[in-house]
Amino acid sequence: MKRLILSLLYCVLMRTFLKVIVGVVYRNREAMKKVPQFVVVANHNSHLDTMALMSACFPGMIASTHPIAAGDYFGQSPIRAFFTRFFVNAILIPRSRPKPGETGPDPIDLMSAQLAKGHSLILFPEGSRGEPEQFQKFKRGIGILLERHPDVHYIPVFMKGLGKSLPKGETLLVPFNSLVLMGDPRKCEAKDVDGIVHEVEAAIRALAAETQ
Amino acid sequence: MNKVFSFFSDNIEKFSANPEVMIVVGLIFGILVFATLLFFIWGKIKPEANLTELKQRTKSWWMMATIFVAATVFNPVISFVAFGLLSFMALRELASISKNVRDEDRRVLIWCYLAIPVQYFFAYKGWHNLFLTFIPIFMFIWIPFMLILQGTTEGISRSMSVLPTQLMFTVFGISHLGFMLTLPPLEGFHAGGRGLLLFIVFITEMNDVFQFTWGKLLGHIKILPKISPNKTWEGFIGGVVTSSIVGYLLHFLTPLTAIEAMIVSGFISCAGFIGDVVVSAIKRDIGKKDTSDIIPGHGGILDRIDSLAITAPVFFHIVYHMYYLHK
Repeated sequence: MKRLILSLLYCVLMRTFLKVIVGVVYRNREAMKKVPQFVVVANHNSHLDTMALMSACFPGMIASTHPIAAGDYFGQSPIRAFFTRFFVNAILIPRSRPKPGETGPDPIDLMSAQLAKGHSLILFPEGSRGEPEQFQKFKRGIGILLERHPDVHYIPVFMKGLGKSLPKGETLLVPFNSLVLMGDPRKCEAKDVDGIVHEVEAAIRALAAETQ
Repeated sequence: MNKVFSFFSDNIEKFSANPEVMIVVGLIFGILVFATLLFFIWGKIKPEANLTELKQRTKSWWMMATIFVAATVFNPVISFVAFGLLSFMALRELASISKNVRDEDRRVLIWCYLAIPVQYFFAYKGWHNLFLTFIPIFMFIWIPFMLILQGTTEGISRSMSVLPTQLMFTVFGISHLGFMLTLPPLEGFHAGGRGLLLFIVFITEMNDVFQFTWGKLLGHIKILPKISPNKTWEGFIGGVVTSSIVGYLLHFLTPLTAIEAMIVSGFISCAGFIGDVVVSAIKRDIGKKDTSDIIPGHGGILDRIDSLAITAPVFFHIVYHMYYLHK
């Protein structure tokens, strides 16, 4: 049932809306089909980013693809948390790992559990939305996660223009042509956490350079 | 189901009762079949010739011609929605590539988008005066006012001229295509608004192809080397002459006499050239070759309709003044 709703919502309605009204163009969307399980890593400028990446999914994979969302923001109220979990299919995580002596869920464990189930993830390693077309420092979580799951492919994605259509702090959507450029799925070559973070960031920057 | 069927059969009947339009629709697809076969055979005989771009362009022409014919010959409402969407996509593309649209302008750009349905509504209703004044008068007052409400003045005078100009080009110009469909019938002229519409689109697009082809075949003397290095005097003059001849032959789509149609087609050809180089100059300003890559081999929507945005109003107002004004 959820799979049907999500397929209809994203693969039909949202994708049509994004393409026709907002002006999103996808490049190499087939990359998602090439591997059974993936971690999409993308730059983050807008709430539309998650919508654009969910709409890029094919119907067969959409129910097992989870965007990672910040629990403090999207879990503010139970209703908001329900909507984020059900209609965005998101996993809510805390922004940082518990310090020694603190209790509470570890965000890496939450994401790792989904990968162990064979599910896919959509991750924004920059954490929160930044200024349009500018990179922020990548967080280390992606490195820890991929170090734990060296067999999972990651797909670098660079998105351009969505931050202009719906920037942070704005509620009014104004259509601008935007591009979602996907790289081919690949496994990490680096073995340590910092190396992986660096590698992923370099892959996204390489895609960004292609659009210049 | 029956209703849907009768909707189509009614409209197809109306279409087939318009032999002038049918001839030219047949001609369009005839040319496409010819071009496809030509490039196919040429590729077989000379496998070393690089025809990828030409083949891709032809394929895109098939798509565009099919969409255009489907949108225009059946039902006027579909045509207005289709042209409105075309204006929207063109405006979106122009606003997206323009470096003169500031971050503060996004809330004003929404007003520009909202002007599209209004303008096409006036066109659909055939309200001539509002259709002509809505953008150059009412929106030209409204946009600067909305801009000052955003609260910043830095660079505002530039936005005050950029946004209205983009509206004129992509919405006012293109909406004349729709307005042709609401022109009243003239005595002794059968093709009607659809004929006029088909005439201007066919002449404009063929003119682009002719100028391109003559330029490739004979081009030597560059006409505007700093703006558009591929444009030559030979291409331009060849385009004007060929378009005039085609206009002379297709005059039955318009109320014009054959000689008038020939002269007007020469005008269209020049106007098309102007639209083309204006968009080229904008692209050069921002350092892009194509405005986007939505149509394979052709670039963006703007690259295809840049001439049409200029030729449609020029042609419309010439014909309107000569034949419709005092009827």
